[in-house]
Amino acid sequence: MVEKIKTEVQQLLISGKIKGFLGLREQHGQVGPYLFTDAQDLEGMVIGDRLKPGDSRYPLNKQLMRIARCYPDEVFGVMVRGCDERGLRTLFGSNQLNPEKVVSVGIACPQELADACECLKPFPDEFVAGEPAEARSFQTVAKLDAMEIEDRFKVWLAEFSRCIKCYGCRNICPMCYCKDCTLESRDFLAIGSLPAENPIFHLTRAIHMAGRCIDCGLCNEVCPADIPLRTLYKKIADIVEEEFHYRPGYGEAGTRPSFKILGEDLQH
Amino acid sequence: MAGLAAAFGSGAMTNSIAELEDADCILVIGSNTTSSHPLVATRIFRAKEKGAKVIVVDPRKIQLVHQADLHVRHNLGTDVALVNGIMHVILANGWHNQAFVDERTEGFEELRGVVEQYTPERTAEITGVSVEDIRTMAEWYAKARASSIVYCMGITQHTTGVDNVKSLANLAMLTGHIGRESTGVNPLRGQNNVQGACDMGGLPNVYPGYQAVNVPENREKFEKVWNAKLSDKVGLTIPGILEGLNSGSVKAVYVVGENPMVSDPDIHHVEKALRSAELLVVQDIFLTPTAELAHVVLPGASFAEKDGTFSNTERRVQRVRQAIKPIGQARADWEIIQDLSTRFGYPMNYESPAAILDEVAQVTPSYGGITFDRLEGDGLSWPCPNSEHPGTKFLHAGRFSRGLGLFHAIEYKPPAEVVDVDYPFWLTTGRVHVHYHTGTMTRNSPSLHEEMPEGFLEINPQDARTLGVKSGDTVRVSSRRGEVLVRVDLTTRVRQGMVFMPFHFVESCANILTNPAHDPIAKIPEYKVCAVTLEKAA
Amino acid sequence: MEYRTVLTTCTYCGCGCGLYLEVMDGHVVNTIPCKTSPVNEGKLCVKGWNVHEFVHSPKRLTQPLLRKNGELTPVSWDEALDFTVKRLREIREAHGSDCLAFLASAKVTNEENYLIQKFARAAVGTNNIDHCARL
Repeated sequence: MVEKIKTEVQQLLISGKIKGFLGLREQHGQVGPYLFTDAQDLEGMVIGDRLKPGDSRYPLNKQLMRIARCYPDEVFGVMVRGCDERGLRTLFGSNQLNPEKVVSVGIACPQELADACECLKPFPDEFVAGEPAEARSFQTVAKLDAMEIEDRFKVWLAEFSRCIKCYGCRNICPMCYCKDCTLESRDFLAIGSLPAENPIFHLTRAIHMAGRCIDCGLCNEVCPADIPLRTLYKKIADIVEEEFHYRPGYGEAGTRPSFKILGEDLQH
Repeated sequence: MAGLAAAFGSGAMTNSIAELEDADCILVIGSNTTSSHPLVATRIFRAKEKGAKVIVVDPRKIQLVHQADLHVRHNLGTDVALVNGIMHVILANGWHNQAFVDERTEGFEELRGVVEQYTPERTAEITGVSVEDIRTMAEWYAKARASSIVYCMGITQHTTGVDNVKSLANLAMLTGHIGRESTGVNPLRGQNNVQGACDMGGLPNVYPGYQAVNVPENREKFEKVWNAKLSDKVGLTIPGILEGLNSGSVKAVYVVGENPMVSDPDIHHVEKALRSAELLVVQDIFLTPTAELAHVVLPGASFAEKDGTFSNTERRVQRVRQAIKPIGQARADWEIIQDLSTRFGYPMNYESPAAILDEVAQVTPSYGGITFDRLEGDGLSWPCPNSEHPGTKFLHAGRFSRGLGLFHAIEYKPPAEVVDVDYPFWLTTGRVHVHYHTGTMTRNSPSLHEEMPEGFLEINPQDARTLGVKSGDTVRVSSRRGEVLVRVDLTTRVRQGMVFMPFHFVESCANILTNPAHDPIAKIPEYKVCAVTLEKAA
Repeated sequence: MEYRTVLTTCTYCGCGCGLYLEVMDGHVVNTIPCKTSPVNEGKLCVKGWNVHEFVHSPKRLTQPLLRKNGELTPVSWDEALDFTVKRLREIREAHGSDCLAFLASAKVTNEENYLIQKFARAAVGTNNIDHCARL
């Protein structure tokens, strides 16, 4: 699989279409993000499935934003899965990345990963490697929905009680680009003791994920307390789709939902 | 570490962090794990998820209590009595592992003699823990397939620190919960490379690899490799150095990356000692309160600016890689020492940290197979005696480092300072999740500083009412050694009669108050217990 | 243009988490947990996530300082090291090796700790070396 990516990246670099390609590389015996800039040196490039598919994914889009902010005139390539593509579209739509400066190189996720992610679309529209896997529905959400609301609330309170307030869910999130973060606003949330204010901290973040979360699951993987944040945000995404007929990243690039605010239709 | 070395022959975490996940019972005692070792807490959370019993023994209601099947709030400094009481119940019920005791240990009869005196009723009286809870702890810990003990400074920072550790070692040996996967006695080291600093001989009594300086063969070996005459006299510990400065027997101190002016107990005493030095050299990355007193300050490089290795709490040696050039004229500490030594007339010409580690491997048996090349990937846990050895996940399998494990019969002794009419509150100190040690790095990190910009004193709301203070008020906290002003935080995390302060904040410096009385063997000061009085500040 | 990710080990607590420092044009700008590290498996605490922040702090020491007329004054490395060596020698000659003491560090690398104790023991001739293992 990675050979196809390498070939594609090599051509992009040689042709000068991109300045660099943000992908993954196995180096020093570990897998990490890496900016490939030399077509002759793509050694160690991997797709991030070390022991099982997708077990070493990184927030490449978020890193791309950091790079693009410093080098707005350059074009960069980036490896994208289905979720990353949804992320790119949403970031294009909110002017965080310029679609003309990004070349995506797609891979389709294997079924095992699609199952684990409960992914609604485990492949980008175009991909150079992999076979499209079948979509999966949100069983984890359904399981919680089947519970009585008091019990469900207790489950979440218990999950949140382990939070060590690392802010990792926000830090890793490719959709968290705000300069001022509500989680750090003293008007909303107290500082100091652990766990983070329960449940306000995580519910505040969940609300901010509405209309944003592209269901990549990096938050879940990064959580030192194994809080099933992805399930929480999947539920939020379901509610947003039901109420506003919008699911981030699934429409055309740059599209945003139409909201009725103060009696006016705002069309973007 | 002296306690574990005496019992097992090796002073380090016996098992690896990841193994905790598969323990059936975890006894967390004197460790605020979610704040101080968050990634160890991850494994405890997972063990709990898999059905393990989690017992938290801590006078404070720390976050981990939310995950505990049992939380025990014993009186400060009564750990020995509590563990003796637990062992009493285990023996009385025959829950101990007689085969393990017979085959792997010595000193059992002496232990039994002392433990017999610690009936649950007597233990309850000393510790304030109920008879029922003592029994539950004994049963859960002893009867589990694999029980693991996790402890930290809440155990060691007492005048009886070594006794506390030996007691935990007793408990593990009595039940055979050691030398196997997911068991053991696991001290969490507070600093990234405190294990490594010990391993490398940054101690007054041992060369690298815990080879005693007063054993002639060891000295001869190092004299040969280092091509120098070496002293056979055991050197001074930090308290000894400070005393030496005061008495005039120590004239010069060279400090690398340490900040005793915030971290040591009874700061006024420390300051007096350091000010009396004829020469104080401080090598650091910030102008710390200690550096401010120095005659010479040398700018070192941070971890991001140099190559090398750190040894983590589970004895795993891992690479540190240079990301950027040193800031300004700063230089890597190994380069500074090497230059200094050469100018001093003892030339050092290492090409790189890799070359230094090669010499370490040559003289340190437990690091014998550790080289930069082999550390690619997951690193190596010592002992790793040769270049083919894969490293050691858990210690003492089949045999203790010292041969037989040694039981120590230990009697409970009260803390050096207890509350009285003049100083009626127990003060205990510790860390918070956002800050680290003396705050030199974390308080210079904007995100962390903003999360917690100032120190505080935790006080029970009942006590606050009696004193007439409300949340956010400032109180004057005084001990026999000094006083500080600090903002109060009303919380039931502490019980009535007890207060807590983090020690990271120089402007409300907890260590002005703490007691320098220290353990007679390990010389660890009693940071965790002293007596104070409180009054509302005007 | 420079953009690199450098695999290293966290400098805070004893866990020893693996992380990548993101370097852009000579500056460490961000921290990303290493997914495949056996210790932290792609997770970090709040300190680890912000471990890059103090590196470029304006309060970092950037040059040697020597106390002159009571004030710490910037000097060259040569002056600072030569002064240190001269004073260490004078004090050793006047009072003996055991009048000198060294504090190694739980913050610096193994290699550096090895050299510090080697300097104390082999060059100066004292076992007066300790660090804050007890704190």
